[in-house]
Amino acid sequence: MVMMTLKGNKSKMRMLLMKSLTGITWVLVYRTEKYKRLKAEVEKQSKKLEKKKETITESAGRQQKKKIERQEEKLKNNNRDLSMVRMKSMFAIGFCFTALMGMFNSIFDGRVVAKLPFVPLSYIQGLSHRNLLGEDYTDCSFIFLYILCTMSIRQNIQKMLGLAPSRAATKQAGGFLGPPPQAAKFS
Amino acid sequence: MTSISKRKEESHLVNGGVKQSTWSKAFSSNAVWEEKDEFLDVIYWLRQIIAIILGVIWGVAPLKGFLGIAIFCIINAGVLYVYFSSFQQIDEEEYGGTWELTKEGFMTSFALFLVGLVMSIKMYKLLKYNKN
Repeated sequence: MVMMTLKGNKSKMRMLLMKSLTGITWVLVYRTEKYKRLKAEVEKQSKKLEKKKETITESAGRQQKKKIERQEEKLKNNNRDLSMVRMKSMFAIGFCFTALMGMFNSIFDGRVVAKLPFVPLSYIQGLSHRNLLGEDYTDCSFIFLYILCTMSIRQNIQKMLGLAPSRAATKQAGGFLGPPPQAAKFS
Repeated sequence: MTSISKRKEESHLVNGGVKQSTWSKAFSSNAVWEEKDEFLDVIYWLRQIIAIILGVIWGVAPLKGFLGIAIFCIINAGVLYVYFSSFQQIDEEEYGGTWELTKEGFMTSFALFLVGLVMSIKMYKLLKYNKN
């Protein structure tokens, strides 16, 4: 009974952690005018660029292509400025996470925090059964549940509060990390 | 084109010149979606709602093993497919194809489903234990 209550409290702690970290980011970054201005600019440019790329054809003139390249460059610069603004909160969150992970690891290390209703695939068992004794792979470790909560609860809180970047911005940013979707057309 | 502009006109007339809210459009069939992102957000949130509901039901049932996960994936993808192709009757090509619409928010909903499943199993056992 105590263990079950403890497990319930662990889930509440995790949710609280997600919400507090989003709160920290909001206080340090999201409510500042500079961030709002940059974010609006990046989204506007991303949408404009996306629309232009959709309408451009193979036989588009050199000027059109140069115009798009200039816009991409401008967007890249704005994305970089936005990342610099976020850096403050990223440091704070990184520090909090490291400290809290250390604390949670010492509390939950070697403890079964939940029972999974399935046996995870072998390459996930390293994560889901991390530092747990025994061969029962339905036992769930803290880190696996933590990752699931990050992927679900944190993402949804960010989206609900309008703090997640728009799809156009994500697409263009993804293009800066790897080949953009229309790169072949302009090479 | 004519049918789209007619539908836009209708939505304005029906609302007396006021834009229909997103959720009222989501539950009206053949709604007009001026912004692609708006419709994609609806798909995203419907997926999350389905994930929580199924997570709780699967936990109480209980539906164990990969069969439960497979059924969740089929229901999640299937319900939304019926929603956007039959209920909303949108042009999938406008949104990058059926695959783009299917994967919108899928991983997040899957993670949410697992979290909901684990929590509902715990809560169910706790309630059962208290009852005994």
